[in-house]
Amino acid sequence: MKRILACIDASSYAHSVCDLTIWAAKRMKAEVEVLHVVKRTDAVAARKDLSGAIGLGVKTELLEELTRIDEAESKQAIEQGRVLLGDAQARLARAGISKINRLHRHGDIVETIIEREADADLVVVGKRGATSESASDTIGTKIEQVVRSSIKPVLIASRKIQKPEIAVIALDGSSAAAKAVDFVAASPLFVGIEVHLVVAGPKSSVESSWFVKAYSKLAGRLPSCIIHIVDGSPEKVVGDYVRNLSNAVLVMGAYGHSPLRTLVFGSTTTAMIREARVPVLLLR
Amino acid sequence: MLSTTALRREWLSNLRGDILAGIVVALALIPEAIGFSIIAGVDPKVGLYASFSIAVITALVGGRPGMISAATAAIAVLVVPLIRDHGVEYLFAATILMGILQIAAGFLRLDLLMQYVSTSVVTGFVNALAILIFVAQLPQLIDVTWITYAMVAGGLAIIYLFPRLTKAVPSPLVAIIVLTVISIYGGLKVNTVGDMGHLPTALPYFFIPDVPFTFETLKIIFPFSLTMAIVGLLESLMTAHIVDDLTDTPSNKRRECKGQGIANFITGFFGGMGGCAMIGQSVINVKSGGSTRLSTFVAGSFLLFLIVVLGPLVSQIPMPSLVAVMIMVSIGTFSWKSIAEIRTNPWQSSVVMIATVVVVVWTHDLAQGVLAGVILSGLFFAGKVRDMFTVTSRLSRDGATRTYRFSGQVFFASTERFAEAFDFREVVDHVIIDASDAHFWDISAIASLDHAIHKFRREGASVEVVGLNKPSATMVDRFASHDKAEEGQNS
Repeated sequence: MKRILACIDASSYAHSVCDLTIWAAKRMKAEVEVLHVVKRTDAVAARKDLSGAIGLGVKTELLEELTRIDEAESKQAIEQGRVLLGDAQARLARAGISKINRLHRHGDIVETIIEREADADLVVVGKRGATSESASDTIGTKIEQVVRSSIKPVLIASRKIQKPEIAVIALDGSSAAAKAVDFVAASPLFVGIEVHLVVAGPKSSVESSWFVKAYSKLAGRLPSCIIHIVDGSPEKVVGDYVRNLSNAVLVMGAYGHSPLRTLVFGSTTTAMIREARVPVLLLR
Repeated sequence: MLSTTALRREWLSNLRGDILAGIVVALALIPEAIGFSIIAGVDPKVGLYASFSIAVITALVGGRPGMISAATAAIAVLVVPLIRDHGVEYLFAATILMGILQIAAGFLRLDLLMQYVSTSVVTGFVNALAILIFVAQLPQLIDVTWITYAMVAGGLAIIYLFPRLTKAVPSPLVAIIVLTVISIYGGLKVNTVGDMGHLPTALPYFFIPDVPFTFETLKIIFPFSLTMAIVGLLESLMTAHIVDDLTDTPSNKRRECKGQGIANFITGFFGGMGGCAMIGQSVINVKSGGSTRLSTFVAGSFLLFLIVVLGPLVSQIPMPSLVAVMIMVSIGTFSWKSIAEIRTNPWQSSVVMIATVVVVVWTHDLAQGVLAGVILSGLFFAGKVRDMFTVTSRLSRDGATRTYRFSGQVFFASTERFAEAFDFREVVDHVIIDASDAHFWDISAIASLDHAIHKFRREGASVEVVGLNKPSATMVDRFASHDKAEEGQNS
């Protein structure tokens, strides 16, 4: 049986993650694992003491104090996490998902997600986490780390979700984009869903071999696809295109370039996720 | 890709806390580096360069983020005879060799030997170290005027009382500054850092130690390098353990061994003495909010900045203020809980702890103290297991068969009791040795089993050994001289 890993935290994205998971789980006939990670803030950093004086029994005292801080915070975080997981489970169950597995872990958020995705076929996360929720027009720092480290398809939920009825594929000559096409053609997620191929480039792109190859893969399916080609930067062309399609999901290959290049020039992928107001499915 | 996540966590997860803690620690490194350079008999710059270089390198390659390593008391007290007899160049050579030995220890996984070091030995080590640090301050307190005592007392008062006022500034720093200002403007006659030797005015540079590359040299430095390497690793691994506990995060002990080695190896070429992790300063680091590699790195770099840029000021610092800081480090390192626990812990544990302390204070060599502690705890353990041994015997109704039933551990320490259990003078036809609940551990045990069987045979009784468990039966098969193999298997 297929499995979906739905990652939630205290942000408002938890609901859209659930709704998107419901959509995907029903189409893939998958079971769902809902994950919440308890990440306590560092007790060492939480103490405000720069006195640097160490006196009698300092090691024992310090250990006890740090344990106390962590303990209090962990208990609260665990309780909060339990409520979140409970809400998510109830939401999924109401929508008719039968197999739900709750997972509550301690640790680093990114590392835990990567650890758990090994058993999953699809990872669903929110566009921003609780820490950067208020900053709109950005992408959560953890999301980029998750997508860069992940080897599974990652579905990123936007704040508001409509049931996806259109798959917009951002197509270029890269192998990652070809993967995205393969995925859409093969996955039960997109059976019977309208596909739009969007290319940022000259009109002559339709004659290039990668386009022909991609089109031929999708041509046989129903309903057949719409092609949109405009010259310009990918983030602008694709961004403009999906802006008016609130019921779309954007599918694309992710992070074709090395982290070093990204550091210098910025990442197209990050820019597209930031621009899109719809869910984004990333494939590596 | 995961490594970027780990790198970020190990360096950048706690920027503010780490930078502030690093600065606090840098200030606490100065007294130990200067003080113990003087004790080792070299210029303060040897210790200061070493502290900079070791801190920065272990920050990069060590296995325990947030731990502070630098030139330490533990190593300094070991090298006094080397410097006295052969000069400082031999110290650099010994430091390089120490590094090589530690790297080798990392590859050979010698960190696993720490499993044999019991809690009592660790406590003894820590207490002995605190005593060494304290005792090293005494020369500064002998044959001096009352002004020195007043300054030390004043320094300690500031260190411990100032945090009640504010915890936003390091109180040892406040103590050093206040005492320095008083001594300069008051024109007080006390020793200053400048009186103790030259402070560096330039950055450290690379050079090959000026020693003959002969077997003779190796013979001189090897014993020192070996002890330095062992003591360095012991203190580093123990400190790593303390930091693990405090921060509730794991560390890579093997990488720490290699990291210490690399740090010492390179430090030797830059004119520094050997070093290792520091318990007191690592606790100060965690207490001040430092927990990643960044804080160690900042500590090292800031130290270099202090000594190179503020050198003229540093040389005017009165020694009594540094003595006060070192007394604080000594107090913070000492495990005061262990004093209260001497009476409540099992007496064997207390003996091991005290023996470790006594041997270290006697020899000024932490390695010998730990060795004594480990041997003692091994002996005590053997003694305890030896007591887990009982024997019952039963005579059959016809008086012809005697069954000895053993349970517990038969090994070198309990063979005597094993042998004493038999009554060879009793006249019986048949002897059954029932070992169902016993375990024969070593060839001493097998030898005494052999001995008993032969002796019974000479008294005319047939002997049968039953119920040997598998490992014991294998031992008997391989090492016993009596022809009991088949019967051992039959049972």
